[in-house]
Amino acid sequence: MSQIQERGSTHVYKVNKISKEEMESMVARCVYEDPPFCSAACPLKLDVRAFLEAAAAGNFKKALQLYEKIAPFPLILSAGCEAPCEGRCRLGEIGEALAVREVERAVARFGEQSRLGGIFRSKKRRTVAVLGSGLFALLLAGELEKKAYPVTVFCEEADEESWLRAAADFLDEEAFSLEHKRLKGKDIQFEFGCVLDRAFLEQKRSCTDVLCASWELTKRLFPDAVCTSELMFCEAERLVTGPTEGVTDAAFGAKKTALTVDRLAQNLDPRNTRGQEGPVESRLYTDLSEAKALDRVPCSAGGYSREQAMEEAGRCLSCHCEECLKSCAYLKHYKKHPGLLAREIYNNTQIIMGDHQLNKPMNACSLCGQCTVVCPNGFDMARVCHLARQNMVSTDKMPLAPHEFALLDMLFSNNEAFLVRPQPGFESCKYVFFPGCQAAAIAPGTVRAAYLDLCERLEGGVALMLGCCGAICDWAGRYEMLGQTRDFIDRELSKLGDPVVIAGCPTCRKELSGFVSASVVGIWDMLLELGLPEGAKGLDRPAALHDSCGARGDEATQRAIRTLAAQLGCELTETPFSGDRSPCCGYGGLTAYANREVAAEMADKCLERSDAPYISYCMACRDRFARQGRESRHILELCYGTDAGAPPDISEKRRNRLTLKNELLREVWREEPREMRLDYKLQYTDEARAMMDERMILTDDVIAVMDAFRENGEAIEDEDGLLVARRRVGNATFWVKFSLTDGGYLVHRAWSHRMRVEKREG
Amino acid sequence: MAIEKNYYTIDPEGKLKCFKCGVPLIKGKAKFMYLDNGFPVELPVCPVCGFVYVPEELALGKVASVERALEDK
Repeated sequence: MSQIQERGSTHVYKVNKISKEEMESMVARCVYEDPPFCSAACPLKLDVRAFLEAAAAGNFKKALQLYEKIAPFPLILSAGCEAPCEGRCRLGEIGEALAVREVERAVARFGEQSRLGGIFRSKKRRTVAVLGSGLFALLLAGELEKKAYPVTVFCEEADEESWLRAAADFLDEEAFSLEHKRLKGKDIQFEFGCVLDRAFLEQKRSCTDVLCASWELTKRLFPDAVCTSELMFCEAERLVTGPTEGVTDAAFGAKKTALTVDRLAQNLDPRNTRGQEGPVESRLYTDLSEAKALDRVPCSAGGYSREQAMEEAGRCLSCHCEECLKSCAYLKHYKKHPGLLAREIYNNTQIIMGDHQLNKPMNACSLCGQCTVVCPNGFDMARVCHLARQNMVSTDKMPLAPHEFALLDMLFSNNEAFLVRPQPGFESCKYVFFPGCQAAAIAPGTVRAAYLDLCERLEGGVALMLGCCGAICDWAGRYEMLGQTRDFIDRELSKLGDPVVIAGCPTCRKELSGFVSASVVGIWDMLLELGLPEGAKGLDRPAALHDSCGARGDEATQRAIRTLAAQLGCELTETPFSGDRSPCCGYGGLTAYANREVAAEMADKCLERSDAPYISYCMACRDRFARQGRESRHILELCYGTDAGAPPDISEKRRNRLTLKNELLREVWREEPREMRLDYKLQYTDEARAMMDERMILTDDVIAVMDAFRENGEAIEDEDGLLVARRRVGNATFWVKFSLTDGGYLVHRAWSHRMRVEKREG
Repeated sequence: MAIEKNYYTIDPEGKLKCFKCGVPLIKGKAKFMYLDNGFPVELPVCPVCGFVYVPEELALGKVASVERALEDK
């Protein structure tokens, strides 16, 4: 099998539902959208973070707008608020909590009021009456006016000023006059000097849609009135009211009351659809490791000046949980927190008709699991993307193009380049060495040296298996192909008598451990047991050790590699994000095939941790770091004194695997492999080689085109005299531009497309 | 599938020649097909053997972008 069937059509109108509950439970692990602790503690739900940000930037107008959303009378609330936010401020854990209330006072004093008041707002049709006076009545009238109800206040006081004074006698004169001005600016009607008795109340009830009263008045008129503080509603008396204590409570009570008025005005049950009221718990995570412990800006009795308020607001940590974004190049690239991205990717899988715009992000995750380790809540983006890929495959909506090259490469590893043999002289072997497809592709010399060494030093025979463990199709979400690959490997291993597998790659070790019956160890474990081979030598300068994402959660392997490095005499420099927190090089999850840009950012992210040469224990990491121009060595190269040199291009990677297989067949098993030889000379310009690597065109594809040309003579001659031939190979048509040379061809350019093209009549 | 209009038109303007037949390519009718979708086009075609030429710029430009769009359907 060396072809993959392309899906037949885009017209597939079915989806395979991922359980919504499962997806929701995965998404809910992300705490990014949880409110900061200050806002969570505020019963009025002030967006404290945005408020302080505006204040710190000196934008008091914006800060006041935010504050007015919760406070119709900002100076009254800021003067009397108990500031539960300050008790939960995370700065309080390392120094002094932020003086939010004093900043609020300053903003209420210095903030310019927005000119767009309620004058031009269209009013609601339902009318509300507020009877009585006091703080609650004042704040309630303010809330209702904000909600655009036509509000009329009926009070015993003779004028507005005395009504306001009855509510807020604790204000100083300056604040009082400012709030008086604010009250005058509000669209609230007044009737002063009313005699508030039962008859008056009943009369107002008959001409108003919703009737509210202060708690004091209610108790005076209805001594037996019972009210629930959740609803602020006396059901028996059909009167909206309730007891409150203190300024914060009165403000919160007014908010709840206004919601009850909303429900009653629409003839709805005030108990239902109230949303979450009052303080909530937040699961937000704040990293305090780099926060500065500072004292509050000192505040005089008169409050902060504008500058002092800005300085104090500037101390805000602006609590955000971005632990995963700090370390993951993928999430950083898409500038989304994983909860949101996961939800979008889930929705992408559920599209029946239309564009799957999240295919690219879904296929760009390296499935490395770093986010799960760094997230305080263990968010698992890898599982989200892996499930989504499998889901898309199951409904035939998964495009083949992003992963086809990698999948064909896997088929190549397990067909033309596959080799399985027991050690000569052994019918069944105690061990089998499984170096992994990338080791054979990138460092064939190292694989050869390792196998010969294991054969020589291990008792009981060491078989060899050159192939792919199935990680490639697993990452692509091709679960049927994965099942076939696993069956194939399992069958081959059982033919060898189920020997202990010695994996050369941590990802192979992990994959194989998941399904083979025999035990699987890493070659690093064997080398620690046997001791280093002769000639093993570490780098003569400090190096950074990069942990493979295949070894995440595998502390034994991480430790074994460090011991091996120490025995080699390597001086390792400490890097941030090592061990379980290590980022992926960009090969994992097939990112390097599906999204090269993100893959390059991932490699850069790995390399920004140190300027030293990198030592890794996964050949893909070694290759990708070398491709980014960093000196990069696999630990087995150091153990065996080999150097794989410059990173091979995609065709060389295939050739290396075939050459390794053929050389070992000749050298170890004395078999003469059948090798295909071209009976013509094929050369490439440097430009053509670079172009082919960039465009994922193999020399084998070019040979297929040239073979076709030699057979049918079909080509185009362009104005420069160059010939262009083509051939359909699998799911793509390859075009080669070449010139004729003595005994062969010189390839100048090559390109491909997946669409079929044919002549049409008419 | 009903073919109503052409999506791309490329005129060889006598710059290209069929190597096998030795005649200049002409502007001819062709069709791109992908994932059960078809697009009528006019491309350089050999009037004798019917070889349809897809130039590099077209393959990497418009053809590639239409492929991407269809793959995400």
